[in-house]
Amino acid sequence: MTIKSINGCIGCQECVKSCPCDVIRMEHGKAVIAYPADCQICHLCRMYCPVDAIEMSPEKSIPVIVPWG
Amino acid sequence: MTAPTEKPAPNRREFLALSGATAGAASLGMAAWGQNFVEVDVDAITNTDFATDVLVIGGGMAGLFAAVKAHDAGASTMIVSKGRLGSSGLTPFGKGFFVFDTDVETDTIDDFVDTVSRSALGTSNPAYTRQMAEHSMARAADLREWGYFDQTLSNRPFMKPIEDRDIPLLERVHVTHLIKEDGKIAGAAGFRNDAEETVTIRAKSVILCTGAGGFKPNGFPLGDLTHDGTIMAYEIGAKVTGKEWNDGHMTRSDNPAACYDGWGDMFERVPSTNGVEVHHDLGVDLNYTAYMTGNPVAGGPGAQPSDGDTIEVEGGPQTPEEFQRDFGAPGGDGEGGGPSSGEGGAPGAPPPGFEPSANVGGASAGMAIHKSEGLVPFDDRCASNIAGLYAAGDALGSHMSGGIYTQVGSSLTGSAVQGAIAGEAAAEYAETADTPVIQDVRISEIVDEILAPLRLDAGYGPAWVTQTLQGIMIPNFVLYIKKASMMTAALAYVEELRDHHVPMLRAANMHELRLAHETRNMILSAEMKMRASLMRTESRGSHYRLDYPDMDDVNWRAWINIYQGTDGSMQLEKQPFDTWPT
Repeated sequence: MTIKSINGCIGCQECVKSCPCDVIRMEHGKAVIAYPADCQICHLCRMYCPVDAIEMSPEKSIPVIVPWG
Repeated sequence: MTAPTEKPAPNRREFLALSGATAGAASLGMAAWGQNFVEVDVDAITNTDFATDVLVIGGGMAGLFAAVKAHDAGASTMIVSKGRLGSSGLTPFGKGFFVFDTDVETDTIDDFVDTVSRSALGTSNPAYTRQMAEHSMARAADLREWGYFDQTLSNRPFMKPIEDRDIPLLERVHVTHLIKEDGKIAGAAGFRNDAEETVTIRAKSVILCTGAGGFKPNGFPLGDLTHDGTIMAYEIGAKVTGKEWNDGHMTRSDNPAACYDGWGDMFERVPSTNGVEVHHDLGVDLNYTAYMTGNPVAGGPGAQPSDGDTIEVEGGPQTPEEFQRDFGAPGGDGEGGGPSSGEGGAPGAPPPGFEPSANVGGASAGMAIHKSEGLVPFDDRCASNIAGLYAAGDALGSHMSGGIYTQVGSSLTGSAVQGAIAGEAAAEYAETADTPVIQDVRISEIVDEILAPLRLDAGYGPAWVTQTLQGIMIPNFVLYIKKASMMTAALAYVEELRDHHVPMLRAANMHELRLAHETRNMILSAEMKMRASLMRTESRGSHYRLDYPDMDDVNWRAWINIYQGTDGSMQLEKQPFDTWPT
């Protein structure tokens, strides 16, 4: 699930702004994971969150293409 | 716990469009062709117009210095960034900043420039290598003053000089078009991620600090970098170079898309400076081992944990003897072989993503080499062939490093140095340039082009087209271990996407509008990569041809420049090493 959950959001929007891929949006004053398929699992949102509200997972939510397997 | 928002019910017009059609597929994220459930009222989208002397596009290291130095040189300056200052592109993730400290280094800058050139097999541009080293201490001093070396996250130290100078900053605005009038740059246009609004910016000079890009690959934080600047510039007549080079970073076989995990804790480190350390780390040599022996690269998918031994194969990409290193067993806990400092880790250690253990190739698929793809520089001050248009950092094909990444930490330094030089050059140009005049009809044409994916009643999902492009380009036997037959085949697929799918990329909202434009840019970049790779009938540095495995100094001491022909087709030409274009 990439960015997995947001618990205890204080509505500061730091994660929304710091996400390079526009994954997170505000809804009713709280951050929500709007576009999980576009998460690149870089953790910037988690690092910018001032209240440690964001939990990450290393798993991508869509199939991953690599050069060989 | 939060969840993705539900799609709103289609409005009346969309219901009418749906009548008689199959609606089911459109609710799937990865659906290919389908109805476009547009969530915004396209006709109500407004345009906001700005004007400035110098417009800086991009909010990374190059963009920061371009804006600060253009402002300090007296130009009214504005920055526009697709993301947030210091939190977009590759800048947030680089932690090593190279400085050439004459009090510490025993060799001269001349020696350093020569060493880079030898590792780069002649592909480096010594003027840009030298400039990077000469200005490195001054840029590090600027950054130190702003607090960059005191913390992990770049936004606050980057904001300091911008706020001190009151430089206008537009964030989360995706620029899609450069505007040229009477042969000179006149501005740029794009749209906001967070509002139903297009944006036009009239500017006497524009500096592209838009980074390079990839195919939204897995395992490298390139997701927002899709060669936007390069493609915009190409479309108004700029020349582009360096597309045949391949960055060689690898990723882990477990959860390959997890870039943070693949880089140990590097993303959370405080940036630091490092001195001279010139390498020739290919990455593509491991792609070759996998190709020739059926994926026994130590630690590859399904393999046993590495004991540090690497399998020897005949042939393949060669590292010059002077730069050969034995990485040996991964250091530390083996979890990505986390380096101890900076981008390159401990002296002598492989950079993260280059260890011959627990890896699968192609983390950065679609990216060439830092500073070696992008606009062709026409002088040593970051000018393009279009009057008033400059580029800096990874958006400039300066070949500062060459067709392989050579000096550890030079990526951030090169962006800072080139940003500053481009900022001053652009301010100087703007001082005597006339205020551009852009006709309303031109603005309206551009706005129509920007919003076209929102107006389609049906079309191809940009996420699906991107995945299709990844499936064509990323396989080892296309992008890395190159041969004419496969590249010709891949090019045919890419041309199909270009001609048939690009015009039908759909978008339901501003997020998907961004994906649609990004997808289009990646497709054009893929075409450039295949055409340049087919043209370079030799192997050199990070470009490896199975059908031309040797370096050809008779015919190929030259860079490849790409430009749009008068009929709109992609044209390629050679530019000899050690020369400037005319």
